[in-house]
Order: sequence, then C-alpha cells, then structure tokens
Amino acid sequence: MTPFVRLFAGTGNLEFLSPGILLAVAVTCLAVSLYLLLPKSGRDGKASRRIGWLLGLITLGLFIATGQRLGNLGEETVFLTVSLVAVISAAATITCRSPVYAAIWFALCLAGVSGVLLVLGAQFLGVATIVVYAGAILVMFLFVLMLAQPSGLTTSDRVTNEPLLSAVAGAVLLGLLSLSIGRLSAEEPLCCRPPSKAAALGATTVEKIPTESVNLLASDQVARLGGELFGHHLVAVEAVGILLLVALIGAIAIVSNGLEGSQAETSSLQEGSHS
Amino acid sequence: MTPSFLLVLVPLLPLLAALATVIGGRRLGPRAHLPAVVGIAAAAVVALSLLVVTARSRGSAETPRPVDMVTTLWQWATVDDAYAPAHDSHAAVPGTAVGEDAYSARPFSISIAMRLDPLTATMLVIITSVGLLVAIYSIGYMHDDPGYPRFFALVAMFVFSMSMLVAASNFLLVYVFWEAVGACSYLLIGFWFQKPEAAKAAKKAFLVNRIGDFGLAVGVFLLWLTYGTLDFHDTLSPDGTILPGILGQTRLADVSGYVGGIVGTAICLLLLLAACGKSAQLPLHVWLPDAMEGPTPASALIHAATMVTAGVYLVARSAPLFMACPGALVTVSIIGTTTALVAALIGTVQNDLKRVLAYSTISQLGYMFACLGTGTLLGFTAAIFHLLTHAFFKALLFLGAGSVMHSMGGVIDMRRFGGLRKLMPITATTFLIGSLALAGIAPFAGFFSKDEILASLHSKGWPDVHHSTENGHHAMIPELPSALSHSGTMHDVGYRGVSNYDNHSSSHQTSDVVGLDALNQPAVWKALFWMALVTAGLTAFYTFRAVFMTFTGPLRIPDEAGDHAHESPSVMTTPLLILAIPATFIGFILFTTDGLAHFLAATPSFTTPSIVKTATASVFHWDLAIQGTLAAALGIVIAAVGHLGRRSDGPQLERWLGPVRPFLEHRMFIDQLYAAVIVKPIEAIAFLAAIFDRSFIDRSVRFVAHLPLALGSVVRQLQSGLLQRYALAGVIGVLAIIVFLAWRL
Amino acid sequence: MTTLILLGTALALLQNGLVVGAILFSLGLIGILSRRNLIVMFLSAELMLQGISVSLVAWSRYHGDFGGHVLVIFVLSVAACEAAIALVFVLQAFTRTGRLDSAAWQTLREATLDRSVDHEIPSLDTSTPSFPRLTPAGRSPDTDEHAGMQRDHV
Repeated sequence: MTPFVRLFAGTGNLEFLSPGILLAVAVTCLAVSLYLLLPKSGRDGKASRRIGWLLGLITLGLFIATGQRLGNLGEETVFLTVSLVAVISAAATITCRSPVYAAIWFALCLAGVSGVLLVLGAQFLGVATIVVYAGAILVMFLFVLMLAQPSGLTTSDRVTNEPLLSAVAGAVLLGLLSLSIGRLSAEEPLCCRPPSKAAALGATTVEKIPTESVNLLASDQVARLGGELFGHHLVAVEAVGILLLVALIGAIAIVSNGLEGSQAETSSLQEGSHS
Repeated sequence: MTPSFLLVLVPLLPLLAALATVIGGRRLGPRAHLPAVVGIAAAAVVALSLLVVTARSRGSAETPRPVDMVTTLWQWATVDDAYAPAHDSHAAVPGTAVGEDAYSARPFSISIAMRLDPLTATMLVIITSVGLLVAIYSIGYMHDDPGYPRFFALVAMFVFSMSMLVAASNFLLVYVFWEAVGACSYLLIGFWFQKPEAAKAAKKAFLVNRIGDFGLAVGVFLLWLTYGTLDFHDTLSPDGTILPGILGQTRLADVSGYVGGIVGTAICLLLLLAACGKSAQLPLHVWLPDAMEGPTPASALIHAATMVTAGVYLVARSAPLFMACPGALVTVSIIGTTTALVAALIGTVQNDLKRVLAYSTISQLGYMFACLGTGTLLGFTAAIFHLLTHAFFKALLFLGAGSVMHSMGGVIDMRRFGGLRKLMPITATTFLIGSLALAGIAPFAGFFSKDEILASLHSKGWPDVHHSTENGHHAMIPELPSALSHSGTMHDVGYRGVSNYDNHSSSHQTSDVVGLDALNQPAVWKALFWMALVTAGLTAFYTFRAVFMTFTGPLRIPDEAGDHAHESPSVMTTPLLILAIPATFIGFILFTTDGLAHFLAATPSFTTPSIVKTATASVFHWDLAIQGTLAAALGIVIAAVGHLGRRSDGPQLERWLGPVRPFLEHRMFIDQLYAAVIVKPIEAIAFLAAIFDRSFIDRSVRFVAHLPLALGSVVRQLQSGLLQRYALAGVIGVLAIIVFLAWRL
Repeated sequence: MTTLILLGTALALLQNGLVVGAILFSLGLIGILSRRNLIVMFLSAELMLQGISVSLVAWSRYHGDFGGHVLVIFVLSVAACEAAIALVFVLQAFTRTGRLDSAAWQTLREATLDRSVDHEIPSLDTSTPSFPRLTPAGRSPDTDEHAGMQRDHV
C-alpha cells in the first residue's frame, strides 16, 4: 500500500471521532462557526458572533471528548490548557476585525504554541518560537501596520472573500486530517526507517516505541540538537544562513528600488479610503 | 489498317483536334479552325472507308451475314461478385438450363468496347461528313467572333462524343456519351453566354435533357438487373462460357432472349423517355426552339443533323428490346406522330426562320419515331433512311438560314426582309433544293424516305391490303441466318404478313402493363397514317411559306444589314453547294439500288427473329407516292397563294386561322403549362426550403456555435483577478480529489 | 501492561499534537483564503507555519529523534526571511495603491469582466462603548477643606 492509502486505511484501534457522524457534526459545526465569525457584509451583529463562538467551543469539546487521554493527569491538564489557548487565539486572529488586535491575538497564539512545543519536549524550539516569532516577526508586522494603516480599521477589514466557501474548505480539510490522524495505529508503521540509519544514530528506537531513556528528553537536549544540526545537517544550515543574507540584501534592494521608482506613482495613485 | 484501328480513329482524330484547339487555339489566331477541320476531315475519310469495309464484309446478296466487329480497348471498371441472377433470369445463356450453381455471382465489368456494324457505319458517315461541312462553313460564319477557337474545339469535341455514342458497344458507354453530347450542346447553345436569352436557353436544354437522361440511367439499371450485362456484344467469361450481350448474336438468335411484360415495357419506355429528351419529342420538345439562340452552324450540326438523331439511333439499336414489348412500340409511334403533327402546326405560324426550321426538325424526328414504332424491318430501315436524308437537307436549310442571317446583319425575322433571291442566288437555290427535299417532292431525297415512312404506317393500318407483287419494283430481304442457327428457322423467302406479334416468344411475364398492348390495333395505325399524311402537307406548307417570304417578293433589307447585304463568301456557300448534292440525289440512289435497306439489314439489331418474321419488302407503292405528293403539292399551293410574291410583312394568310393562330403562335402554351405545373411548385418548395434553412437550420447551427460562447462566459467569471479566489479554487480542487480518493478507499 | 499504557500514551500524545497542528493549519488556511487585509493574510500564513511546527515536533517526539526539530528550525528561519521580504512587498503595494486591500489588485482578471467592488460594507460601530457608571451612594461627605488639610488622624 502506498503511504497515501495508508493514511485513510489504517486500522488504529484508538480512533477518535470514531463514529463518522461525529466527524461530520464536528466539521459542520466548525464550518458554521467560522462562517459566522468571519467578518462579512450582511448581517454581522453581536448575536451571530456569539453563536459562532458557541459553535466553535462545541466543536472543540467534541475533539477533546473523543480524543485520547494522555496517561498523566498533569500532563493532560497542561497540554489541554496550552492547546486551548493556542487554538482559541488562532481563531480570534483570523476573525478579528482590527488588524492590530489580530496581531495581538497572534502573539497569544504563539504563547500557546510555545507551550505545546514545550509539552512535546522541544525545549529549544519552544523558546525559539517566542523569541523569533513573537519577538521579531510580530513586531515587524506591527511596524508595518503602523506605517500603513495607523488609523485602525478600513472597509476592507470588514469584508472577506467568500467566507462560506473558505470556512467549508478549511473545515473539510480539518475533517480529513482528523480522519487520517485518528486512524494511526501503533502496530502498522506509517513510514519505514531503514534500520541501519537508526542504528547509526544510536537511537534506541528501531521500533517506534520511545522508551523513557530517549535522548530526546535528555537534559542536554539543546546540545544534542545542536550536534545533530551541525553534524548531519551542516550544509543545510549554511544554506539557511546564506538564505538569510540573501533575504536581507533582497529586502534592502527592493526597498531602495521602490524608493526611486515610486515617487511619481505615489502622488498619482493615492486612492485609498481610510476610514 | 484493320477495321478496328480505323474504328478507333474515327472518334480519336476529332478528340485530338479538340485538345489541340483547346491548348493552342489562341496562339493560332485566325487559323484556329485548322485542327478541327483537318481532324474531322480525316475522320470523314476514315468513316467512308469503314463504310466500304462494312459493306464488303456483308457477304454477297445471296448469303448475307450480319456484320459485327467488336474492338475492345481496355477494361474500364470491374467489380467482382457484383450480381447473382435469379434462377429464371434472362441473364442465362439461352438454351442452357440455369442451375443453382450456374451463376453464383456475376462480375460487373465495363470495357471500353466499340462495335462496327452497318448502322454504326452509316451514322459515322453522316456525323463526320455533316460535321466537316459545318466546320468549313463556320470558318466564314464565325469569322469575327472572339470565341473563334472555342467554337471549333466544341465542334470537334461534339464530333468525338457523337461518334463514340454510335460506336459504343456498351450501354454505360452510350450513357456517358449521351451526357457528353448533351454537355456539348449546352456549351454550344450558350456559346454567346453574355446574352441572357442564350444562357437561359442553354440551361433549359440541359434541364429538359436531364429528364431524358434520368430515364436512360434507370433504364440502364433495369437492363443490368434483367440481363446481367450491359454489353451489346457477347463476351467470354473467365471460365470459358459465353456471356450473352444484350444485342449479341447469341441472344438475338434466341426467340426467348428478350424480356417482355412489365419489366421489358418499363425498360423500353425508359429508353423512349431518353430518346424523347434528346430528340425533342413530345413532351420534352420545348428546348429545341429555344436552342436556336446558339450559332447557326451549331444548330445545323447538333439540332438538325446529328445530336437530335441520337434518340432515333438508340431506339433503332434497341430494336430487339422493343420488339419484345408491342405496347412500347405502339407508344413510340403514337408519340412520334403526335409530335410531328403538333410541331408542324406550330411551325406554320412562326415568323423566325430558324424557329420554323426547328419545328420542322421536331416534326421530321417525329416521323422517324413514327416508323420506328411499326416494328417492321421496313420501319427501322425507313427511319434510318429518313435520318440520313434529313441530316443532309436539314443541315443545308440551316446553313442557308445562317447565310441569310449573316448577310442580313443578324436579323432572322422573316417579316423584316424579303425578295432575297436576286441578292443571294446561291443561297436561294440551295435553300429551294432543301425545301423541296423537306417537302417530299420527287425526285429529291425527302420524297423517297417519306414514302417509306408512310408505307410502313400504311402497312400496319391496312395489313391485308398490302401486297407487293403488282406494284412496281420491289426487293426482298432474304432471311438472314443468325450466328448460331437454330434448326429450321428458315422461313420462306417471300412476303409475310405483318404484325404477328403473337408469334413472339412466350415471355415470362405476359401481362399487359398499362393497356399499351391494346393500342396495337389497325384502327390506331390508320389514324396515325392519316395524321402523318396531314403532317406531310403541313410540312410542305410551312417550308414554302418560309421560302416565299424570304426569297420572293420585293427586295427589302433591314437596317442592321449595313454593307453585309450580299451573297456569302465562298467558304460559306461551298458547303451549301456540296450539301445540295446529296439532298438531291441520295434518296434516289439509295432507293433504287436498295442499297441502304440491304446494308442495314445486316445490322445485328435488325436480325432478331422477331423483326425478320415481320419483315416487309421495301416496295415502291404508287398509291402512297401519289397521296404524299398530292398532300405536299396542296401545301405548296396554299403557301404560294398566301405568300408568293407578296411583301413578307403584309397581312398573312394565316389570319384566317382565327383564334387558333395565337394558340399556335404561343406554341400551344406548353411552356406556360410547364411553368405552372412544374416550375412554380418547385419554386414554392424552394422558397419554403429556404425559409426552413434560414430559420431552423441556421438557427440551430448558430445555437451550437453559441454554446461554447455561453459556456465560456460562465467559466470566465472564475477569472476575477482576485488571487485569493484562485487559491480557494485550488484548495477546493485538492480537497475534492482527496475526498474522492478517501471515499473510494 | 506498562508498555501497553506507554504505547498508548505515546500514540495519544502524537495524535493530540497532530490534531492541534491540524487545527492551527486549517485556521490559518481559512484566514489566508478569506481575509482581505494583507497583514492579516500573512499572519494567517504564519499561523499555518505554526501548525506545521507543532506537527513536526509531535512526530519527532513520537519517533524519538531530532529530525522534526531540525526541520522546524529551518522552517523558522525561512519564515523569518519570508516575513521580511513579504512585508517589503506589502509596503510597496501600499505605496502604489494607498491601502492594504488584496482586492485592490485585479488587473489579472478577464478583460470583459468588471472590477469587483464591495457592496454592503457593514458599518463601523463608531459609537463609543458605554462604560458603566456607578450609582451615587449616599450623600457626598462634608469636607472642611482647611480641616482636611490638617488632619492628624484619618
């Protein structure tokens, strides 16, 4: 079987959203809630937003209820909390009218994501997410908003392109992904690791069952990550460095070209409607 | 120089001349006539030599045998396994039993074969000699015409087509060249195509001929179905057996070789339809008077001497087929005689000299059909004899009319000129000779041929009266043995009664189809005889009316003549003089020597036992001769009373006809009848069809063309320029694929 | 038994992590497809990348090696470059048209179609929110200003 087929043909006995009807209900709920939440022309009052949030929470509840329990209650609680923070902030990001508020919500989402990463044992990445994303990228976004749209909302923020179709597409995608995730099973491997490579890495996980002594969660995890990075992926790292350099130069180049070339256009093409 | 080579030369030389004229005519300039004249002259010489060859191979007078020389050039088309005849079909070899395994399938093969026999030789001589004289005449007549080379190319092409038509030994080839002469006629009638009347006349001729061609085509189909072959001659099949041709010796010798009844009558009537179309018999005669729009030499060649005789040739050639269907034979005669009478009546009031001659042609062709339908050897021979004499004197008359027209500056209305005998003596004399021949005055050519026609009709009307012993000189046609002489069919050499069709073969279907056989009564033949006699008188009348109006009376020249008003140049008068010789003498010569009758009797088609059984000797009947001459004389006298010496535009004698006259002047309103019955309904149907085409078919086509546009305008909405919509479309597409695949799994 | 439970928990962690990643990815997709503000569109793109990162780390945790981590680091770096360049472009676009609307760029449409314009833009709620007011409670106290200045006890 091809891996693609196995995505949907797994016989995992730990299925969630197992009866198909639940999956359909969840997907529908999600679609409707997002449709209601997205800013659109037409009836867009407070009531519809509230109903949207309610339906969204119902969907989340379905996911949580039918999901698997992690063994540890503490781990379970923490994971649930941070993931809820991440998900709800993400929903708020995309449905918020003001772009500034959306950026703030995104920051909160990043916090949640960082928490999830930490729960999953990625120490370095959890922190790096905050540092790079929230600290650099998000601030850049806010700077651009300050330059471009300091007054807040414009008309274009209050309407969206095809809200219904987008919501349905996203919900269907989530449904499909949930279906395939739910059919993962421990016995059937989804993809095969060549045993030789695993041995070379020194990993103890020729089977995919991690034991407690996985070096992933060792105390010197960051050092090991660095060793892996600069050991096995040195070329890629150097390439990424060059990429960063090129992006830097490119950004400067575009800006400087644009500065010279757009003087005439700026005066003639100003047709914004700031409101 | 074998006869087959000579036979091939006769059509080949004019064909090469036509091609040469087409290719190099413009370059030759005023000498563009040379290839055509030389080619046709050579063909005429060859035809004469073929005549001699045929006459010689006829055997002696005591032991004659049919002449039948076939030359096969090449195999044109072959379809194997094309035809499986029925058990009792006439496709079998006569005399053999047709078993189930005798013929599983017959190949359909057409070979380009030509056959030389007396009938063919006679026709070839007529065609080439008249063609030659017309070509020489045209050198003068078409002198300043811009289409000078085209004319000669067409004349040469016509001579080729007509020669092949009479020489072909296969019904399909006959059809091909039937169409070819029709096409040449169209091109020659519409020679001055810038004139709308000429174009219309050419179209009319072609369309009316088409009706006849349709009859010929269906007739050919039926012939193939009935007889299994289209060849005239016998051929050898690959396994050595003889495939009897339709007019081959094998079938001719067999009494039951030909099909009668429904099928046979149908075939004969279809062939008759074709002949009516080509030979301008009722009701398909309407094209010939209008065909006078063409140049006069073309009218002389085609519409007097040769093409219109193709129908007569076809019926004569198919004599054995007709002999099996008495009903068809009597139909032929009725149509012929009626046409003769009607055309003569219409011709009495025409004022256009060429139209008079045109109706005269129709009338004389009617005579030929009349005696073809008698079914006697005399009848067939008389028809060919009249064809021969008519070719010469009618060509003479037409060329004379052309000479008059040429000198009168294109005016041919007889009321506008008169008294031309002093102005154009040669034309006047030769025209007079031709008119005397046409009227049937002894000893000119027409007298003898018309006498034979009347004799054949008379012999059918009064079968018991006819006996030959005490009326002058007669000749007997001895019994001709067929190639496979079956035992004991030699009859007494002597005179037999006529019209014993009951002796004819017991054909398979004996039912009388449309009651045509019932017409074969002596009473009907009597009526036909009287009609023919009256027509003879009318012929003389209108001919001499034309002569007197044109050549007698005070000299009047129309203004268009200008300085043309003189005798024609010698290149034009020489053919007139040459033609006057046979017009005067040939009848006398051929009749007194019985040359033609004996000669033609050796034609295989005329040796079929049914004809031979009903043979009458060709005799000279004084009583008929006197009757005919009296009728003609009466006609001449009345014409003289009315027109001799008078001004041609004065009040005419014919005004005494009263209300009948406009009826005749408008050609008995036959054209108008056609217009009302055929043309207008077709125009109405065409109008409706045009509406249907525009409103329904065009609309559907436009609708189909609209569909992609409509579809496109719907799909085009997707290209909104908004990138997010494009991305959405992409995402939805991918999701659709994944859902589909997940569902299937 | 413990192994079984451990098996189950490992898979459960994986699944939960993947689900979180899937949700984040889907939400980001919806945002990109529907929002018109260019900045919010890029925020949604970053949201998608977050979802990817979570999924990769979950796999990496399940398999117990650093492949996912490494990939997330690269994703991070590339996201940073992309954000930089993208924002430069956004600013250029803003300079040309004066607004951050993705519907301002419709020149790729069919020549026969009209420019799509917005209808029914919902009105902005410009009213200031009504803040709650406290009801006055009791009598406002008498205050001796002078005395209030020299209080020796409160």
